[in-house]
Amino acid sequence: MKAGPVIAAILLLAGTPAGAHRLDEYLQATLISVEKGRVSAQIRLIPGVAVFPMVLANIDADGDGIISETEQRDYAERVLRDLSLMVDGNLLQLRLASIEFPTIEQMKEGLGEIRIEFDANVPRGGANRRLIFENHHRRRIAAYLVNCLVPHDPDIRISGQRRDDLQSFYQLDYVQRGVHAGPLSLAWWSGPHGLLAAATLLLCGRLALMRRPPANAG
Amino acid sequence: MSTSPERIARNVCALIFVFLPVYAAAAQTATSRIVVAANSFLSTLDQNQRQSVLFRYDDEKQRVRWSNLPTTIVRRAGLSMGELNGAQRSAALALVSSTLSPRGFEKVQQIMEGDQLLKSGEGNNMFGKNLYYISILGTPSEKDPWMLQFGGHHLALNITIAGERGVLTPSLTGAQPALYTINGKTVRPLGQESDKAVALLNALDDTQRKQAILSYRLADLVLGPGQDGKTIQPEGLQASAMNERQRGMLLDLISEWANIAQESAAAARMAELKADINETWFAWSGPATVTPGKNIAAYYRIQGPHLVIEYAPQRLGGDPAMHVHSMYRDPTNDYGRKPTK
Repeated sequence: MKAGPVIAAILLLAGTPAGAHRLDEYLQATLISVEKGRVSAQIRLIPGVAVFPMVLANIDADGDGIISETEQRDYAERVLRDLSLMVDGNLLQLRLASIEFPTIEQMKEGLGEIRIEFDANVPRGGANRRLIFENHHRRRIAAYLVNCLVPHDPDIRISGQRRDDLQSFYQLDYVQRGVHAGPLSLAWWSGPHGLLAAATLLLCGRLALMRRPPANAG
Repeated sequence: MSTSPERIARNVCALIFVFLPVYAAAAQTATSRIVVAANSFLSTLDQNQRQSVLFRYDDEKQRVRWSNLPTTIVRRAGLSMGELNGAQRSAALALVSSTLSPRGFEKVQQIMEGDQLLKSGEGNNMFGKNLYYISILGTPSEKDPWMLQFGGHHLALNITIAGERGVLTPSLTGAQPALYTINGKTVRPLGQESDKAVALLNALDDTQRKQAILSYRLADLVLGPGQDGKTIQPEGLQASAMNERQRGMLLDLISEWANIAQESAAAARMAELKADINETWFAWSGPATVTPGKNIAAYYRIQGPHLVIEYAPQRLGGDPAMHVHSMYRDPTNDYGRKPTK
């Protein structure tokens, strides 16, 4: 919702100039960090002055004007439910790592920054990996940003990034050196081990068929 | 006149002998001039004011206490211009000026002037020239590191001085209004940052533009205040895929930030960035056209091994081309933290 008249009314009431404040957007900036076996991320959420009442109503469930620790945690978990993180097609279970809330007064000014950190374990896979991150939290008022930090691990190299226009969808391709893919991964089956295993399976299947007695026997 | 090799060599040695100390003296002059200006400013202050303006060099809270936002919203520490008398304010601005190039100081004054206009226009006490703060971390010295901070709404200069080294990162420049008229003169504090960027974009061929222009919207700075020490994956067009002229234009665009610093610091920084140029990226998001004399409404980022520049028009209450934030970082050396030999 881009509520022009509402913004004007709120700004008049607040008696503050439009120029200094975020207005009708809910900025949600995510920074993703890729490690071996783990993905961590920080999301900063900054509600604009005009959308703050809507966002607050979503956080301050009992409407007492105070954001309790329980309400902080509930909201952070709700945000996580609106996110999805997949690696190589596997949907990852997001773990809440930390929450930081500003004061209501700061948020009223369009300055309050909610910080949520989360992480997830990444199952073993091949050398070429694909991460897909999606953010659908408060989509109608959201302005999304999503980026990946340059990996600290020299064995991990980012090979490509793709986003939709709104940055609600983010695809990150990366190469991980020094991994030995397990037999459950696509990479393992497309490599020499996989080809050998496939040939062995075919041979076993063929032998089994040859050893089977004819259907009309006995 | 003889032009034997020995004679030429002797003359060259003589020239080096004559000019090397002069050059060394000139290089020293930059830091010593800044230290003199700092001590001169401090000498105008009373004891309470000195306590307010001086911080320990290792005061990490003060070091990161900067923002694009007005000082009434994000409180700064130090002394505001409004707390100083005329002589003290002149001494403070002389100190700031001594760390900057003439154009850099002019840019700072234009940013402050714009904020003053915002105060007049909005009639609001959260803006204006009086609300810019100065602080010093450490003791002004020609040898030991110390830091000067100067900033307020749309301005954060973090200047680390360590011997002859001068480091201007991280610094934030912004403008609102980003175009105004004063005494009959049109002023665009970040006008060159806009004009040179669009000129570079227009100098790219179709294939290069396709790489440089990102397919998604960028609503704000990615590595703005509070995002120290982070390096994001670069995107866009790598300068190694540009021709010599285009790389020159990119360097010229970068100089709009690097050359805010005083000449010797800027020259050292530009040499570093020139050496990195092939590993530097240029990315653009938003409208690729601009009305002549106006600012672009597009976001762009320049990123190299020792550089992050972001230019981000703000869609906050009006024309984004009239409200710009920009960020200048060295992810390897923000606040002069890179170890030196």
